[in-house]
Amino acid sequence: MKKLYIVLLILLLSATMVFAGGAKEAPAAKAEPAKAAAPAFPEKPIKLVVYLAPGGAGDILARKFTDVASKYSKATFVVENKPGAGGIVALEHIRAQAADGYNLMYVTKSIVSKVATTETDIDLNKEYEWIAMLQVDPECVITNVKNKAHTWEQIFEDSKAKNGNQLWLGPAAGGLDHVTAQKIWASAGMQAKWVPFDSGAKAIAALLGQQGVVYVGNPAEVKGNPDLKVAAICYSERLPEFKDVPTFKELGVNGVENEVMWRGFAVKAGTPAPVIAWYEDLFAKVSNDADWKKTYESDGIAVVNWKKDKFNKLVADDLAEAKAAAKK
Amino acid sequence: MDLLINLFQGFGYLVGWEPVVAMTVGVILGILVGAMPGLSPSMGVALLVPFTYKMPPQIALILLVSIYIASNYGGSITAVTINTPGTPSAVVTAFDGYPLTQQGRAGEALGISLVASTVGGIIGTIILIFFSVPLASLAVRLHPAEYFALAIFGLTTVASLGGKNWPKAFIAALLGLLINTIGLDPISGVKRFTFGTYRLFDGFALIPALIGLFALSEVFSRLEEFKFDKEKIEADINKTVWPSFIYYWKMKFTIIKTSIIGTLIGIFPGAGATIATFIAYDFTKRGSKDPDSFGKGNPEGVAAAEASNSSSVGGALVPLLALGIPGSATTAVLVGALMIHDLNPGPLLFTERPDIVYSLFASCLVANGIMLALGLMGSRLWIKVTDIPKTVLFPCILAISIIGSFAVNYSFFDVAVCIGFGVAGWILKKFDYPAAPIVLGMVLGNLAETNFRRAVIMGGYPVFFVRPFSVLLLLVSALSLAYPFYQSYRKKKKSAAAGK
Repeated sequence: MKKLYIVLLILLLSATMVFAGGAKEAPAAKAEPAKAAAPAFPEKPIKLVVYLAPGGAGDILARKFTDVASKYSKATFVVENKPGAGGIVALEHIRAQAADGYNLMYVTKSIVSKVATTETDIDLNKEYEWIAMLQVDPECVITNVKNKAHTWEQIFEDSKAKNGNQLWLGPAAGGLDHVTAQKIWASAGMQAKWVPFDSGAKAIAALLGQQGVVYVGNPAEVKGNPDLKVAAICYSERLPEFKDVPTFKELGVNGVENEVMWRGFAVKAGTPAPVIAWYEDLFAKVSNDADWKKTYESDGIAVVNWKKDKFNKLVADDLAEAKAAAKK
Repeated sequence: MDLLINLFQGFGYLVGWEPVVAMTVGVILGILVGAMPGLSPSMGVALLVPFTYKMPPQIALILLVSIYIASNYGGSITAVTINTPGTPSAVVTAFDGYPLTQQGRAGEALGISLVASTVGGIIGTIILIFFSVPLASLAVRLHPAEYFALAIFGLTTVASLGGKNWPKAFIAALLGLLINTIGLDPISGVKRFTFGTYRLFDGFALIPALIGLFALSEVFSRLEEFKFDKEKIEADINKTVWPSFIYYWKMKFTIIKTSIIGTLIGIFPGAGATIATFIAYDFTKRGSKDPDSFGKGNPEGVAAAEASNSSSVGGALVPLLALGIPGSATTAVLVGALMIHDLNPGPLLFTERPDIVYSLFASCLVANGIMLALGLMGSRLWIKVTDIPKTVLFPCILAISIIGSFAVNYSFFDVAVCIGFGVAGWILKKFDYPAAPIVLGMVLGNLAETNFRRAVIMGGYPVFFVRPFSVLLLLVSALSLAYPFYQSYRKKKKSAAAGK
């Protein structure tokens, strides 16, 4: 029994010492004159606004980011889900906040498509600063190996035989996947019908039930299900994780070499430059993190780090293109 | 045989303090989440997901699934005691549960809801374990035309829900369907009744509407009547009768039948627990020798509702595990939780990580047992709610309603929606319009509309009449809608004949 007390006492004393050590450092940091002049960012928890409901793939990405970021920064991130209207609710929320950098928003290309196809006074170029684009996920055509037509050549022949009634499945009409499908049809010179489902997962269910021929999405979606197969990808080169899958260019379909889903982060326009610099430093570290890379590269996703200017231009281009497509 | 060996190993994983703690904590949290209006099962699970990052994947899943299971039971507690369904799937539980409480039989209502939930949960799990593969391949073959027919079939339950009051029930259901048309058109994205505000792009959220219609409207009408005295019938809770085993045994067939219905409807991605409860209740009422007693405190109504919503959990896990496709909002969150641990739900999971799958199966069974034990202890506590003076209880309900509706999306707009629906519910109540068909309309409207239009895109208008299952369901719907009319016609004729 005595031994136990001694062990406990030792533990208690050493713990006290550790805490005392930490306390010593804190006042020292505060005493630094440079930091007193310009308050360091962040002084309080940062809200990471996610435009999706909790639990989905995008929500998990945002939470994974906060997890990885905690390795490199003492900043506290609090994920705040603001789902609704395909991201417009979250964009409106950011708009109503101060441009102080304490509201970081998770963004993807589908937000751009949503704004382009919805009547709204949101100006993506002027009201938001697109500070980091971290992932490029190529769009692809997914098929069911149990279907008669499951390679691109077979799909193409099948579409001719069905005379415009071949069924392509995917999420909402007007979204990125639908737009990609339309581009593929135009480039290949074929016709098909788009069947919109409530979510990508439900469209995949229908593909597994052989209710349609093709599903348009991203390569990682075939994982875990041997009946699903990526037939062709909309990218300039083959993906290292999906070496057997041809690109559309190899198949003789030109004009869809760069149809991708991108994911990144934005803040409200007018956020101070030092704050943006702080974020850029953090994003550089996260995008180089081994765990972050491994998680997403195994899904066929290119892990990148596009900074503010390049990303802003990308958004402007994508928005213009989506608006032009919507007018048609 | 392999299956049984694997399952046995699955139980093996549950030995140890970690899984037991995970299940117990999960069940307790689940009951609380279910009982709290505003926290639905999917939100309860989603809130806990971040805490499971650092846990081993098995423990994480066991915890989350336990919450899912228990929250479907938790919703019944408030439905029975204060007529406020804690979850959408407990709306039907209140039909007979609350009248029982008013008759001083809250013990019976709470007992039967617990036992039916447990048995339903276990039956759903057993079906999941033994038939997940064939059932999943059936589920994906269901064409949108069949989903549409299922939604129509669900809507026909209004005919029997309303009883003699059927025209008003019918109008209420239409109101629910109309409310559902608000927002961006789900197929083409055209704005409908959004009045230029982005807040209405997704229409009204179900949970704040539900809280308003049930909880707030009740508070408003009591305020109006200024009736805060304790009702005599619920006076002495010490005299509460807790039913015996034989009492439950009498209801075995109802529980088993509705559990099977619940599981089957749970399997179809997008159908879910709420629809299952309406259909199971309707089914039980029609099969009963005394259909008029339903809605007035028939314990079988509570049993049907609770057995079917709990068994739908097992059903919803079928497409998740067998195909990697979420069958409900909650299983969609579970997909995310699996992905955090680098697990891809789908058929390969059975071969690559049987430990995960079978420990999940085993934990579903054990968690139901834990829920029964905790529920039996807890029921003695829940019933005290009926003893709280109304002057204390109603302000509490008001506060919880506001917080609950805010918590859904952290939005004050939803609070306004909740109050709006509360006022609407109060007015409707004054004129004897039931609230439940509005919820039914809101739940089924989207399912019916999107699938109708999807089916037309895929196969044109004839598609509903060339697919056998769709034709069958539509015929059954037509018959079930016509039957009450036929019955009342015959009664009239009989009484006319007797009068002569």
